[in-house]
Amino acid sequence: MTTTLPTPPRARRRFQAAPYLFVLPYLLIFASFWAWPIVSSFLLSFKDSRLGATAPWSVANWTRLAGDEFFRTALKNTFVILIIQVPTMLLMATGLAVALNSRMLRARGLFRFAFFAPLVVGTVAYSAVFRLLFNTDFGMVNRALGGLGLPPVDWLNQPGPAMTVIILALLWRWTGYNAIILLAGLQGIREELYEAASIDGATPWEQFWKITVPMLRPTLLFCLVLSLIGTLQLFTEPALITNSGPGNATMTLGTYLYQQGFRSFNFGYASTIAYTVAAIAAVVSLVQLRLFGRDA
Amino acid sequence: MKKMILLSALTLLTTAAAQTSLSGTVTVWSWDVAAKALQSTIPGFNKQYPNVKVEVVDLGNQNVYDRGLAGCAAGGADLPDVYSIENNEAEVFWARFPDCFTDLNTLGADKLVKNFPAFKWTELTANNKRYAMPWDSGPVVIFYRRDLYQQAGINPAAIRTWDDFLAAGKKLNTKFGNKVKIATIANGQDDEWFRMLANQNGCFYFNNAATQVTIAQPGCVTALSTIKKLNDAQVLATGDWGGQITGIKASKAASAIYGAWYEGTIRTNAPDQKGKWGVYLMPASKAGGPRAANLGGSALALPASSKNKAAAFAFMQYALGTAQGQVAMLKGEGLVPSLLSATKDPYVAQGQAYWGNQKVWQTILGTLGDVPQARGTQYFQDARQIMIVVQADYLKGKYKTAQEALNDAAKKISSATGLAVAK
Repeated sequence: MTTTLPTPPRARRRFQAAPYLFVLPYLLIFASFWAWPIVSSFLLSFKDSRLGATAPWSVANWTRLAGDEFFRTALKNTFVILIIQVPTMLLMATGLAVALNSRMLRARGLFRFAFFAPLVVGTVAYSAVFRLLFNTDFGMVNRALGGLGLPPVDWLNQPGPAMTVIILALLWRWTGYNAIILLAGLQGIREELYEAASIDGATPWEQFWKITVPMLRPTLLFCLVLSLIGTLQLFTEPALITNSGPGNATMTLGTYLYQQGFRSFNFGYASTIAYTVAAIAAVVSLVQLRLFGRDA
Repeated sequence: MKKMILLSALTLLTTAAAQTSLSGTVTVWSWDVAAKALQSTIPGFNKQYPNVKVEVVDLGNQNVYDRGLAGCAAGGADLPDVYSIENNEAEVFWARFPDCFTDLNTLGADKLVKNFPAFKWTELTANNKRYAMPWDSGPVVIFYRRDLYQQAGINPAAIRTWDDFLAAGKKLNTKFGNKVKIATIANGQDDEWFRMLANQNGCFYFNNAATQVTIAQPGCVTALSTIKKLNDAQVLATGDWGGQITGIKASKAASAIYGAWYEGTIRTNAPDQKGKWGVYLMPASKAGGPRAANLGGSALALPASSKNKAAAFAFMQYALGTAQGQVAMLKGEGLVPSLLSATKDPYVAQGQAYWGNQKVWQTILGTLGDVPQARGTQYFQDARQIMIVVQADYLKGKYKTAQEALNDAAKKISSATGLAVAK
């Protein structure tokens, strides 16, 4: 049996100028400060901006990017951070969120603040502190290692240790932030689910895997996508703590973009890098959503 | 004769008139020690121009560069009346923003050309325009701790080549159980050592016409090999700008190699080491070879957007173009004048208490004439970033020879700049 609903009489649509006039100021600002720069930087990627306004159109920037060893290093470093730091951080943040959510914990407010506090500290200040902590001759970290009878590490002047410092700094700064977001997600899980599970005899461990993790998935995905985009744009820590060095050991896509744009003042090439980074971010986010986001 | 007197009276009269007629505020952008140095010339300037108020703003080195580029990109918006610029980075401005700064020839700077050494003008002129006025220069020397050298039994006067320097480093290692190093290198953070030694050997990233990449030429190969030899002998510590200062304060570095402007840095950071420091010429690559190079040095430019050009140029002329101005900056902050007449000032011939009464300025300025020309070009930053990495990789053992490393650097610089590699 099929029933067809009567279609309502179509309202006569007349073009009215007023709504457009109301949004016009926004559209103008959007066009000049958002849309135009996006288009303009794409056009710029086909020019050698070092030659000035008269530069001819060419694909030189794109061919340079294809063979650019520095770009590959930056890409590799960024992905190393992405693969090591992001999962470690989310794992720690989840553990922390579960702990902070526990009723057995006293002074929860204080702990929540303490773990969130790193985000409030100015980036320049915290970078300076990290530089001091990891100073080879006078830093507290090497003092502590010495106290344990271990040899000192030349943290900021060796590639591997320098990358470790960057990852530790990122963990310190962002774990608490993600934990707070996950905590909000945890508090959205209905208490009855756990009660029912306990009645059915599920252990806390089973409850964690069967209830907490699946219910938390949308929040985890949110954190993951945010961290991913943040990492692809990572700039502050490698710029201020290690200055992308030693050599290019901690250079990221963000610092390379800055170097080309604002140190060499080569905006054409910087635009090429920017477009490539944006494309990578879009592809990786898409893959993630496909993999983890089925019903999120 | 009468005519002469009349003429000179007339000139005096017109200059006097000009001096009192100049008024208003002149804003100057500069950094750290350089800003303090400019500050110290203001009282002298105001004696001649009482109605001009000079305001020096210390923005920090990086910020001056970044904000200058941004200002020029915005068509001259938000720029000061006098802009400090490093010689090495100057050409970026002239190449990308040819109209951002005033051609000083139009204000009479062409008459001042002979007052400065030729190498200082190389990077300040382009397209027949004179964009900036030479300020300080950076003749390279070795600053050393007399007491530490003495304890290790090193005679600085006997260090004539880099091999001698290396042997001295070993003596220090033995004496102090590797706790005191002869010098610090910013390997992985900067390539200053390479630039100083390359310049000494008559080589640089680019040729003086800025048309070719010359980094794989013999002089540069010698420079990089020397650095590797010193590094492999473990006589050097590694540390960036801040790390080097910390090392000096903690008496862990027995010497420092830099442009002479580092004098003020040591003196102000380690005032308690007064009398313990001395200076000697940079060692040569081969016995009897050149012992001079230049690192750094700056200039002052006048943004085209300045509303008070006459007063701004008057200040530049006083601070940089007169011996009083330049010597005030030398006394206060150790900025080495490039004005030739200032090098003959009696102050230069005086012994300096901090430096154990050594006549350091005579030693340092004596090398000025031997400094080979080198040109940063507008691609200085590209080349530098590449060389920092190649140097670090070479010291780590990635390349077999210095020649191989520099061939690779040349290839990379060429692809980044579009300039051909010199055969």
